[in-house]
Amino acid sequence: MSEASRESRISAAFVKLADTLIADYDVVDLLDTLLVECTQILDTEAGGLMLVDAVGHLQVIASTSERADFVELMQLNAGAGPCIECFTTGKSVSIADIDEFGTQWPEFRTAALQKGFHSVHATPMRLRGEILGTMNLFSTRVGELNPRDAAVAQALADVATIGILQERSIRETGIVAEQLQRALDSRVLIEQAKGVLSQIASIDMDESFAMLRNYARTRNLSLRAVAEGVANRSLDIGTTHSAVPKPLV
Amino acid sequence: MNRPPDSDADAPPGLNTGGADADLCSRFVEFLPITGASISVFDETGNQSTICASDEMAARLEEMQFELGEGPHWEALHTGRPVMVPDLHSESLSSWPMFSEAVRHTGVGAVFAFPLTLGVVTIGVVDLYCSSPGNLSASALATAVNLAGSVTLPAARMAIRSADREDASTTVGTAPELRRDVHQATGMILVQMNVSATEAFLLLRAHAFSSGRTVQEIAQDVVARRLDFSVAAE
Repeated sequence: MSEASRESRISAAFVKLADTLIADYDVVDLLDTLLVECTQILDTEAGGLMLVDAVGHLQVIASTSERADFVELMQLNAGAGPCIECFTTGKSVSIADIDEFGTQWPEFRTAALQKGFHSVHATPMRLRGEILGTMNLFSTRVGELNPRDAAVAQALADVATIGILQERSIRETGIVAEQLQRALDSRVLIEQAKGVLSQIASIDMDESFAMLRNYARTRNLSLRAVAEGVANRSLDIGTTHSAVPKPLV
Repeated sequence: MNRPPDSDADAPPGLNTGGADADLCSRFVEFLPITGASISVFDETGNQSTICASDEMAARLEEMQFELGEGPHWEALHTGRPVMVPDLHSESLSSWPMFSEAVRHTGVGAVFAFPLTLGVVTIGVVDLYCSSPGNLSASALATAVNLAGSVTLPAARMAIRSADREDASTTVGTAPELRRDVHQATGMILVQMNVSATEAFLLLRAHAFSSGRTVQEIAQDVVARRLDFSVAAE
């Protein structure tokens, strides 16, 4: 990516955030978008955002692929991998060659290599000295992020953090946990809704997610609201080719 | 951040450190102008079971509602919304005649019930009581909803772990019993059986319990379409 187009992509990412701060927005959708931008700006192939939940576990809140094997890789990463090291130390972790330097995390290393990933960079999502989660970028090539790219990754991770917390409200104590909770609960709703669509329309989880997102975007609705409607069966988003249409409750 | 003062100040927000599961009820008593709290979740057989109670009255109020099958606890469970009864001695409790009669002799002034929800699944209820009548202020209500949110995951994990043969995971990675495939399978089962999400989640857990496998193993079978509850039920 040329320097000029890169700069404009980075500022576009910040503008996108500014938009979200003035309007009602959907945090999962925002994080998804930011993550895709980030992987492209930094010339990496895949990414995943992890957030800490109420029991201190890291959960995948957004990923460039909804494929189960990629989500599983993120979970291994959060159990024993660069992601958890980044989360516990609060410092970014760059593994330039997973094959050579990933031996302390054998399961993660095997899974990453199997999927063709050779390097990974984990960036902490920070708020006033606390670590809320990590942003993980995977590349199919060997090599560390240069310091400039690492700084861009940190800036975008900070943007994602603000996106979750909404700058206006983080001054109030008690709000951070609530916002994290809400973001994670949005993800649970989305997974439940994906299951509903997958079953009704006989499609896979990736297609189900695309269907939810397209429906939300074309109607200017929040992904969370659409997912909730689908999961509690109050909203039929056009899976009419179901063999036996179920009555709406 | 609402967290007990004795918790690790350096812990990430929302992180429930220390004694964790042992005393999920105490934070409600500590941060709200109430007298007592109890938390109950669905066990693997679909029955309600109490996981903590801050005092005997809190436990008694919950048990009373289990026995009678009515009261704010059940309403919170069925509607998925908080239920506020600021004055138990007012005459307007006609929706729960047996409960209002039973509670009249306890000296309790007010009760409040908050559902614990994972997406659209209700996994249990927090019941709060106050010895004198009076409503929760708007900020106390917000705090209560927040606290209910903060105990949902630990409560869900306790409930599911009691059904799973596996021991508690101590790693920081996503708890296996609450991974994505569990939520996806819940969505699939609710369509297969034409039931609510709450019932679908119970069916998933009951199946795991009766087959001696973990919730996540069953969920993986459902998502991979190796197991269809509508076929299995026949």
